[in-house]
Amino acid sequence: MTSLKAYIVTRALLVIPTVLILLTLVFFILRILPGDPIASMVGQKVPPEVLEKLREEAGLNKPLIVQYFDYLYNILHGNFGRSMIWGKRPVTAEIMDRFPATLELTIFGFVISVILGIITGSVAAFRRGSKIDASMRIYSILAYSLFIPWFGMVLQMIFGVYLKILPIGGRISPGTEPERITSLYVVDSLLTLNTSALSSALMHLFLPALTLGIVLSGAYTRLVRNNLIDVLSQDYITAYRSRGVKDRKIAIHAMKNAFIPVITLMGLQFAILLAGAVLTETTFSWPGMGTFLLERIQYRDYNSVQGAIVFYALFVALISLIVDVIYALIDPRIRY
Amino acid sequence: MKSGKKLVLILLVIGILLFSGCAGEQPKEAPKETPKPAETPKPAETPKPTPTPEKVYVIGVTDKVTDMDTANAYDFFTWEVMNNVMGGLYRYKPGTTELEPYLAESYEVQENGKVYIFHLRKDLKFADGTPCTAQDVVRSIKRVMEIAGDPSWLVTDFVEDVTAVDDYTVKFTLTKPIAYFLSLTATPPYFPVHPNYKPNEIDSDQTAGGVGPYKITKWVRDQELILEANPYFFGEKPKTPKIIIRFYQDATTLRLAIEKGEIDIAWRTLTPVDIESLKANKNLNVKEVPGAFIRYLVLNGNESTEYPTKDVNVRRGIAAAIDRNDLNQRVFLGTMEPLYSLVPKGMWSYKAVFQEYGDGNIELAKEYLAQAGYNENNKLKLELWWTPTHYGDTEKDLAQVVKEQLEATGVIEVELKSAEWSTYVDYARKSAMMASFFGWYPDYIDPDDYTTPFLKSGANSWLGYPYSNAEMDELLEKAAIASTQDERTKYYEQIQDKLKEDAPIIPLLQGKLTIVTKKDVKGVVLDPTMLFRYYLLE
Repeated sequence: MTSLKAYIVTRALLVIPTVLILLTLVFFILRILPGDPIASMVGQKVPPEVLEKLREEAGLNKPLIVQYFDYLYNILHGNFGRSMIWGKRPVTAEIMDRFPATLELTIFGFVISVILGIITGSVAAFRRGSKIDASMRIYSILAYSLFIPWFGMVLQMIFGVYLKILPIGGRISPGTEPERITSLYVVDSLLTLNTSALSSALMHLFLPALTLGIVLSGAYTRLVRNNLIDVLSQDYITAYRSRGVKDRKIAIHAMKNAFIPVITLMGLQFAILLAGAVLTETTFSWPGMGTFLLERIQYRDYNSVQGAIVFYALFVALISLIVDVIYALIDPRIRY
Repeated sequence: MKSGKKLVLILLVIGILLFSGCAGEQPKEAPKETPKPAETPKPAETPKPTPTPEKVYVIGVTDKVTDMDTANAYDFFTWEVMNNVMGGLYRYKPGTTELEPYLAESYEVQENGKVYIFHLRKDLKFADGTPCTAQDVVRSIKRVMEIAGDPSWLVTDFVEDVTAVDDYTVKFTLTKPIAYFLSLTATPPYFPVHPNYKPNEIDSDQTAGGVGPYKITKWVRDQELILEANPYFFGEKPKTPKIIIRFYQDATTLRLAIEKGEIDIAWRTLTPVDIESLKANKNLNVKEVPGAFIRYLVLNGNESTEYPTKDVNVRRGIAAAIDRNDLNQRVFLGTMEPLYSLVPKGMWSYKAVFQEYGDGNIELAKEYLAQAGYNENNKLKLELWWTPTHYGDTEKDLAQVVKEQLEATGVIEVELKSAEWSTYVDYARKSAMMASFFGWYPDYIDPDDYTTPFLKSGANSWLGYPYSNAEMDELLEKAAIASTQDERTKYYEQIQDKLKEDAPIIPLLQGKLTIVTKKDVKGVVLDPTMLFRYYLLE
């Protein structure tokens, strides 16, 4: 465990240069692009002298290098600055408004994708060569190639417009928002025992999470199937079988060994999901980070984009660390 | 086995919770209390009235409320919400573009139009019952000036000083006489705000509001905004005591939401295709009225560039080649209106000057282009810019159809170029685009807002086109200070004639406002101010 502790500390320390490099890249790339947040918000309307004054107040007329070190100084003092457009709110407040929505959608979408992937992949592997195997493989290709906005809209039409049993979009019905504790509505409504909020939150989550889950499950189906087939053909499985070990017990052993690459994919998928759920968020009017980042990049809201990137980097580093620890726990051969 | 049982148990609990909550999906009729069984009334007490369900309308939008601070908010939808929870000294009479007294009872003009004195109503109160006096008006406007946020120029460009003469009298000293000052007082930077607003800094999340028919009771950014009737409002109480605004990310989801019945009203902004399709829905009403939003094409006449558009005959040729009706039908499915001046149709002084060039008038276009030295063998090469990230999904089609119309002359070759919005406005300011599409939402409803920012020397630098004409400047100045509307109309007509002659900007289309409601929604009043007054809904 000591070596694991040392590994965790090293990994945590490595996050600092990673974030710094990322931040520097984002800082300069954003500023190399033509346009700035002030011009894109009010540039069309205000007189030139007012525009200059607004730029000056935002510190955009300073030399780039001065702006960079000012920003680093502020970051080191825990100040992510204020958004440069619209309400000019603190960036941390903007992120805290949006991130829980993405996290909630990501967790549910992720869980659905993993469950679907494992079930379909395992069924295919255990029935290798059968019609079921073929249909699971087709499912995997279809799921993986689905275009999220189209698939999402089909689900909206079926469950929302025709059957009228699930909401079209949004995170919760107006007026039913639970008291904010974690800002994850499902968790908050459970903590406050608010059943109407819980049902509303779950119903709003269902379609976007299902869309995301189905689309992402395709990759798991293939991976689980291939790994399980590989493991099932190993000598030790044959040895188990020859000793009369029950199929269920064999399956458990095989799946545990087939899981290591799946966990790698899970770690990667979760990180991608956090940043990449933008299409699902747009289709279902989900007020999360994907749409936030896209919008802020378009308007060159430097501070919001930089803040969000740093936040993501830290979060993804944390997830990778957790995945590495899970590796060690699942596979005793892995040592740090 | 144990874990299996646990799983079943958890699923059961979730299922029960889901089922139990299904009925409460949308709080259409807010208080769910059921009237208690009637008891024999005691003789001394008057019988309690049976509680009537509170009327609620849910409005869906794809816009967002960006900032609830009048010192910084500068987008149309936020201003609309502000007009429902706050108010100015004057306001536009619903359904018209006429101004009428609102928080002020009357006004007087002194010193040849340089001083305006407003007499306030004496019964003004904020939504928590705090009285609103002249000091609050002065504090709020000075706050806008000091914070110097995005819309502050609407005050600082015109107001030199503002003082409270007494509790109910506000005195404005202007930088110069301004004929349209009353319309400025109807804009949010002039609205008195509650003393809770931070004195010297932007207070974006503040919901204390001002003096208006509604108060904000809940605001979850990008999710929902709940308004309830302000019990202290001096005027007529809103017919619908509660309004919920739901925010959608895109027009398609908004459309599905009104089809499903999740919302009662689908407001800004549905796509032309969605509007056409919803017109066929028997359960919905689609209402269209002219809006004051305009679209136009800027032809860069910057003399320091090599652009062919600096030749007035090229600009006139392009003006003649464009067919607005065709644009409206093919790109916007008839949901816009052809526009022949920068002043929108329906506003006083509007003169359809560009009609003289005609629509898709190929012969005239060729004539002008020939005068500029272009013909079939020496084609005009035009770079036409558009942006995919600001004016919606139809923008690409707009550019494509204009390209086709111009190329139909046989003497113009168009190259389409695009840039996302931030880059686009940067290019505009740097005069880096030969021809580019833009749009304009008014700040105040006056012809001045549709002419001065485009045509006055210096004021139009945001277009990257230093159009400058001494005669035009003089006309604009005279029109801004003339004291009667007749006199101003005369000047604005001359301004529009000159605009047609020089053709630095080609007006294309004027937006129509489209609102889709359920059949039972009444009281929708829309007008060119483009402000939706929720308090008129019934």
